[in-house]
Amino acid sequence: MSKNPYQVIPATIYEIIEESPTIRTLRLRPERPIEFRTGQFVELTIPGIGEGPFTPSSSHYVKDVMDITIMKTGFVTEHVHKARVGDVVGLRGPYGTCYPLEKFKGRDVLIMGGGVGMAPTRSLFLTLLHDLDDYRSITFLAGARTPADMIYKYQIDEWRRIPKVKFLRSVDKVPEGESWDEEVCLVTKLLNKINIDPHDNPVVVCGPPVMMKFGTFDLLKYGYAPRDIYLSMEKKMYCGIGHCRHCVIGKYYACKDGPVFTYEVIKDEENIWE
Amino acid sequence: MIVSKSEIHAFFKRCQAEGLGGFQQVIVPRRSMVQPRDLFFTALNDKVEMVLESYRTVDPLRALFYFPRERILGGDVPKVKRLVVGAKACDLRGLQVLDKALINAEFVDPCYAAWRRNTTIVTVDCAEIGVSCHCNLVGGKPYAEEGFDLNLTALDVDYYHLSVGSAKGEELLALIQSATTITKASPEEKRLVSENRQAAVRKLQIQNAGLERGENYERLKKADIRIWIEEAQTCCGCGGCTNICPTCYCIILNDETTGKEFIKDKSWDSCQVNGYARVAGGATPRPKMFERFRNRYLCKFVNMPANFGLLGCTGCGRCIDVCAGKIKFTEVIKNVMEAKQVQETEHV
Ligand code: SF4
Ligand code: SF4
Repeated sequence: MSKNPYQVIPATIYEIIEESPTIRTLRLRPERPIEFRTGQFVELTIPGIGEGPFTPSSSHYVKDVMDITIMKTGFVTEHVHKARVGDVVGLRGPYGTCYPLEKFKGRDVLIMGGGVGMAPTRSLFLTLLHDLDDYRSITFLAGARTPADMIYKYQIDEWRRIPKVKFLRSVDKVPEGESWDEEVCLVTKLLNKINIDPHDNPVVVCGPPVMMKFGTFDLLKYGYAPRDIYLSMEKKMYCGIGHCRHCVIGKYYACKDGPVFTYEVIKDEENIWE
Repeated sequence: MIVSKSEIHAFFKRCQAEGLGGFQQVIVPRRSMVQPRDLFFTALNDKVEMVLESYRTVDPLRALFYFPRERILGGDVPKVKRLVVGAKACDLRGLQVLDKALINAEFVDPCYAAWRRNTTIVTVDCAEIGVSCHCNLVGGKPYAEEGFDLNLTALDVDYYHLSVGSAKGEELLALIQSATTITKASPEEKRLVSENRQAAVRKLQIQNAGLERGENYERLKKADIRIWIEEAQTCCGCGGCTNICPTCYCIILNDETTGKEFIKDKSWDSCQVNGYARVAGGATPRPKMFERFRNRYLCKFVNMPANFGLLGCTGCGRCIDVCAGKIKFTEVIKNVMEAKQVQETEHV
């Protein structure tokens, strides 16, 4: 008999990193390693509360532990933010499609991550770094609302020292009392600060819906082809296995045909940005 | 093969009473006491009178395989061996959709799969047609041609023609043979089968004359949105239509974990209610009623065909009977398919 797709693997929280006032990273040690490919997602259960789909933010080369970065946005995530070190949560997965790293080989890879959308793209970034020789260059454009909302600040210096890596950051605004000496603009406008040949090079976008939408339009204007724009349609998934139909985007399921889609594939479906 | 009605009815009763064939439950349609036109599935016992040759029940066959609420993790996989007698062709088509959705190479719903495995289905041709029946408009027939274990066609008041459609059906037939007298069908009797079937088809054609609309369902998607707004006017979003549909399978999951073991329940959801597919932060995919109303039609006629190669509508007509807004599903389809088409789809 086939195995129950709802079976969860208990995982212990061994560390919590408070990334911003609303975002934290759970560092998890599952009872058995969960092998995933970067871009795929897992379902995380807070016992007795519920579950939600999240993309790991750690590299897929790291097997016995997993980082998941989560923003407080609703009922389940509120409880994620109440969790403490030592608590046990449930994980099932991985589900869905991954970033097609084979196609990225030998290319200039551009990554655009906004807000908590930096989480799945950090997983990609860290995975790419593992095989840095395989890629021509990696450019990461990171955006957040304010400096306080910017996540993974503690790793930025280390990342910027890596050859072939360019890491630009912007915030939408700098409230009084906060300081920021990098760009102040929408993350999509960072495109003006780089110089990549859009021809035949991949770009990965993940962030809030408006950012995905206008980011995609800006990338098209910049010269990227729809087939080279990879979108992570993150937030729609629910059961993770194509059994609840919640994440249907026209003829596609975000959970099975995605979450990683090229713009080429979904551009003609309705309401993709909502 | 030919079997007498009284003998095979008695056989079904013995399956229930004596556990013949190892069946622990025999489920049949019976008439509602309040509204005799309505049929419901019920567990057979001495007091139940089975009604096999009429049209489909009020409750979809799906509900016997996909419960309104069921423990999907941390409970026992269902093990009851069941015999369902009197299922209809349209409902069988519904199960074909669910089979593709819930039992596939990637992921299997353990409860649905177990109920399917442990249940033998005897279909019976429709001799009567319900007022909302329209299987003929979706390429269906009022009799099953595949997917059943055993099928019965009434020849006259006394006899059924019987055919076998699966290995489970073979097993059941062997059992029936041991308990009843089965004879070979004569050419005359075979002719009667197709005559009776044609008679039912004709009733459907007459009933649904004028509602034909072709099969170019992309037109539903491309129709001017104003027609949808109009058609949805009396829809109150009660979700009756999705609950009663033979192919709807949307669910929500409830985490019921209290102790160490993880426990999850699934329950029916409805794309007609506003909270459907609400994501963290509160956004829903279709906040307006007419968008949700339209979604149900697109799901059945455009998305499910793309996903499964099968229409999501079996023509059972239950959504017409149940509708609080007195909306006639078949008329909506026709009206929308005949409405003005617009090119761009980003109009909602
Ligand atoms: S829709 Fe067709 S198959 Fe279903 S009950 Fe009515 S006549 Fe029978
Ligand atoms: S049964 Fe009728 S009123 Fe209720 S949601 Fe369906 S179409 Fe709307």
